[in-house]
Amino acid sequence: MSEVMKDFDKPDFSVDKYTKQLVKECVGGADLQQRKKEIQVYSDQTSATLKKSVYANYMQFIETAKEISHLESEMYQLSHILIEQRNILASLTDEKSPGNAQNNEEGEEQPTQEDVENSHATRAVKEMVQGFNGNLEGKTFLNEGALIELDTNDYRPIQRVFFFLFNDVLIVCKVKHDKRLEFLSEYDPKKIAVINIKDLDGVRNAINIITPDGSKIFQSVTAAGKTEWIEKLEVAFRFDQQKKTNKKGPAPQPPKAKQTSQQQKDSTNDAKSLVSDLSPTDSHAGKTVENYGPDWIHTASEEIQTLVAQRYFEDAQALIKRTQDYIAKDSSFVNAKHITEKVKALETQLTDVLLQELSNCHCRNLQVTLRASRRSLKILVDIGRARQACGTLLKVATMALRTAQREARRNNTEISELFFCDLTQVACEFLTAFETQPACVGALVVWCNAELQYFASQLIKHYLTKGTHLDAVAKCIEGIRKPCAKLTEIGLDLSYHLEGLLRSTLESLIEESRVRLLETVGRSEDTWQPYNLQTKSNLKRLLLELDALGIDMRTHTTGDTWINLTQSTVLFTRHYLQLTAQCAHLAKSEVLWPSLELLLRDMMMAQQAVKPVTGLSVDPNFVLKNKLYLLEELLPIAMANFRSISGSERKCEMLLDLQRHLRKQLAPVPKQRSVYQTDVF
Amino acid sequence: MSKKPTVGPALHKVIMVGSGGVGKSALTLQFMYDEFVEDYEPTKADSYRKKVVLDGEEVQIDILDTAGQEDYAAIRDNYFRSGEGFLCVFSITDDESFQATQEFREQILRVKNDESIPFLLVGNKCDLSDKRKVPLNECQTRAQQWQVPYVETSAKTRENVDKVFFDLMREIRSRKTEDSKATSGRAKDRCKKRRLKCTLL
Ligand SMILES: Nc1nc2c(ncn2[C@@H]2O[C@H](COP(=O)(O)OP(=O)(O)OP(=O)(O)O)[C@@H](O)[C@H]2O)c(=O)[nH]1
Ligand SMILES: [Mg+2]
Repeated sequence: MSEVMKDFDKPDFSVDKYTKQLVKECVGGADLQQRKKEIQVYSDQTSATLKKSVYANYMQFIETAKEISHLESEMYQLSHILIEQRNILASLTDEKSPGNAQNNEEGEEQPTQEDVENSHATRAVKEMVQGFNGNLEGKTFLNEGALIELDTNDYRPIQRVFFFLFNDVLIVCKVKHDKRLEFLSEYDPKKIAVINIKDLDGVRNAINIITPDGSKIFQSVTAAGKTEWIEKLEVAFRFDQQKKTNKKGPAPQPPKAKQTSQQQKDSTNDAKSLVSDLSPTDSHAGKTVENYGPDWIHTASEEIQTLVAQRYFEDAQALIKRTQDYIAKDSSFVNAKHITEKVKALETQLTDVLLQELSNCHCRNLQVTLRASRRSLKILVDIGRARQACGTLLKVATMALRTAQREARRNNTEISELFFCDLTQVACEFLTAFETQPACVGALVVWCNAELQYFASQLIKHYLTKGTHLDAVAKCIEGIRKPCAKLTEIGLDLSYHLEGLLRSTLESLIEESRVRLLETVGRSEDTWQPYNLQTKSNLKRLLLELDALGIDMRTHTTGDTWINLTQSTVLFTRHYLQLTAQCAHLAKSEVLWPSLELLLRDMMMAQQAVKPVTGLSVDPNFVLKNKLYLLEELLPIAMANFRSISGSERKCEMLLDLQRHLRKQLAPVPKQRSVYQTDVF
Repeated sequence: MSKKPTVGPALHKVIMVGSGGVGKSALTLQFMYDEFVEDYEPTKADSYRKKVVLDGEEVQIDILDTAGQEDYAAIRDNYFRSGEGFLCVFSITDDESFQATQEFREQILRVKNDESIPFLLVGNKCDLSDKRKVPLNECQTRAQQWQVPYVETSAKTRENVDKVFFDLMREIRSRKTEDSKATSGRAKDRCKKRRLKCTLL
C-alpha cells in the first residue's frame, strides 16, 4: 500500500491528475471503493502519526521549559552572589580611602563604571522611546525589562510594555508591533506602591502597581524577573535614604565582613605600635639577636582579612593553617603571642562568615540550595567546625524542604515523592560532606526523623482527614511507603518510624470505614433470583472485571446472559475483592493487620447474614448456594489475595475462624458437602 | 478602574494593618491555606485572592497583607486607599504593638476620610495568654471608643481566624448595599452624616 501512497509525497503531486489516473486504473465502482478505503486508512494513519509527533514535541518542550527554569533560578542565585561580592568589595574600598589619601582615584573608579551604565541606558531611552522628552541627566539607572500588562478585572493580557527604572523615575512604554517603544507615562517611584501578587486565580509572576492614575497589574515572564522588579522598585523608593547613609559610611550590605575588617584594621595598628614599643626596650635589655620570624607572618592577619572580604575563603583558610603550623613549630619570634591570638580570632571570624553564607543559601530550590552550600561546608569541615556547619545546613534544608512541600500542596502536585526525594538529596549531600563525622551523621538521623514527623503531620492534616475513603487512603499510603523504602538504599530506614507516626490515624480511618461500609451491606433489596445481565457483552465485561480481581466466575454462568447467583452476591464479590486489595496494601504494615482483617471479616459476616425479606417466596437451595459460594469460593480467594498483595507470611486467623464458624452453621445440608473444597490454608 | 466591572462574584477588599511581627501574614496564610507559618519573614506587600461562601453567597475576598515595619510607613497611604475594610492587628503579648494601633487607625481615617469604614480591632496570639501584656479590658475600651468590634485570634490554633475575615466581609457588604441606596441621594454627605451620628451617640 505504501508504494501507492508514495505519490502523495511527491512535490509535483496533483490531485486532479491523481484522481484521473485512479479512475482510469480502477475497474468498476467496487475497485474504486476499495482504493478509496485504502486512501482513507492512509489518511487516518498519517493523522495519528502527526498527533503522536506533536505530543512528543510537546513533551520535549515541557522538559526544556523545566530545564530553563532550573537554570534561571541558578542564574538568579549567581547574580545574587555577584551583587553581594560587589558590595563587599565596595565596602572594602570605602574603608581604604580614608586611611590612604592617595587612594582617592580608586574610589572614583566605581562611579565611572556606573556612569557608563547610566549613559548607556539614557541613550537607549532617547533612541528607542518615541514621545519621551524628559531629561535623564544625572539619574542612576536601576533596571529595565519587558512586562505584560493585564486587565485588572479578568487578568487577560492588554498590552506588552517595557519599563525603564531610574532612581527617581519609572518610564513605562508600550511595545508596538514593530517592536518600537512608545512612551506611555512616567511615575515617581516614591509615589507608587508595589504589591506582590501571591495568589490570584492562578495568574503567575504578577505584581500590582498602584500609581496615582490607578492600580495596574503587570506580569513578568519569569519568577526571578518578578522578584527583581520588586527589589529594584524598592531600591528606587528608598534611593535618597540610601544615598545618604552611603555617604555617611560604608555600604550597609554585609555587616559581618565590614565590622570585622574594621576591627582588624584597628588591631593591626595596635600590633604595629606594639612592635615598635617592644623592640627598642628588648634590644636595650638583652642585646640578643632578635627573632622576628618570617615577614609574611606579620602581614598574615591582614592578608587573611582581605582574603575573607574578597571571598577567597579557601585561600584564607590555607593561610590561617600555614600561620598556625608555623607558630606550632616556632613561637619564639617577636609578637608571636599577639599574632596567635589574632589568627585565632580570624579563624572564628571566618567560621562566622561561612556559617552566615551557609544560612543565606536557602532559596526557592533545594538543589540550588545544596549546591550553593558545598563550598562553605567543605571549608568548615576542614577547619573542624563540622558540628556547627551541619546544624546550619540542616536548618537551611528544613526551610527549603518545607517551602517546597507547601508550594507543591498549593499546586496540588504529588508531595510524597517530592518529600522523600528531597530528603534523599539532603542526606546524600550531607553524607558526602560529613562522611567522617559520626556525630554529624547522628544529627542527620535526628533531623530526618523530625522532618518525617512534620511531613506526617501535614499528611494527616491535608490528606488523611476524617472521612477519607479507604481507596484514597490506600493510594496515599502506597505513594509514601515506596519512596520511603527506597531510602534504605542510602542506609536510612525510616519506615518503622513513619508507620508509627501514621498508625493511630490510619487505625481510626479504617475503623471509620468499617462502620461506614457495614451500613451499606444488604441495603438494596434482593429478589434472590439469578442475575440477568441482559446482553452478552455486559456479561463478558463483568467476567473480565472479576477475572482481573482474581476470581473466575465462568462456572456460574448459565445461558448467554445469566449468572447463577444473586445480583447482590455478584456485586458484593466485586466490592469485596476491591476492598481486600485496598486493605492488603495497607496491611503491608503489620500493625494495621488486625483492624484490616476485622473490617474484612465483618463485611463477610454482614453479607452472610443478609436474609430474604419475610414474605418473599424464595428457593432455599438458591439462598444456600449463594452463602456457600461466599464461604467456599470468595473467602478463600480473598484470603489468598490479602496475603499475596500484603506480602505477609501471616495467617488470616480471624477470617479462618469465621470460615470454620460459618461451615458449622451451614453444615446441616448434607447434599452440598461434596461441593466443599479442601482448605488450602 | 474606569472599566465596567465584569459580572461575577462580588469582590471585597480587605487590608491587614498593624506593627511588624504581630501576625498579619500568619493570619492571612492561616485563612488562605489552613496552615501556620512558624518562621518570621517580614512582609513588604503581598496580595491574595480567594473565593469563599459568605452567608450562602459566593464572593471573592482580596487580602492585602502590608508591612508592619516602620520604614514602610511613608507609602502606606497608597495601599490604604484601595481598602474597603481593615483588620487592625496587634499582638496581645506586645504592648507597643497595641499602642501603635492608634496611629494606624488615625492614618486609615485620614486616608479614607470616613469614620465608619469597616474595621475590626484584632488581638492576635491569644494562644500565648501566659505572656499576655495587654489587659483585655484595655483592648475592649479602645474598641468601644472607636466603636468597632474587638476579637482575639490565634493564627496558630486558628481560633477566630475565619470569624474576623467573615465579620469584616459582612460589614463591607452591608456598607456597599447601604451606599448603593445612598448614591441615589447625596453620597457626598455620607461622611458628614456619619460623623454627626457618632457625636450624637
Ligand atoms: N504563638 C503564636 N505565634 C504567632 C501567631 N501569629 C504569628 N505568630 C508568629 O509571630 C511571628 C511573626 O508573624 P508574621 O505573621 O510574619 O508577622 P507580620 O505581622 O506579618 O509581620 P510583618 O510582615 O513584618 O509586618 C512569626 O514567627 C509567627 O509564627 C499566633 O497567633 N500565635
Ligand atoms: Mg507579614
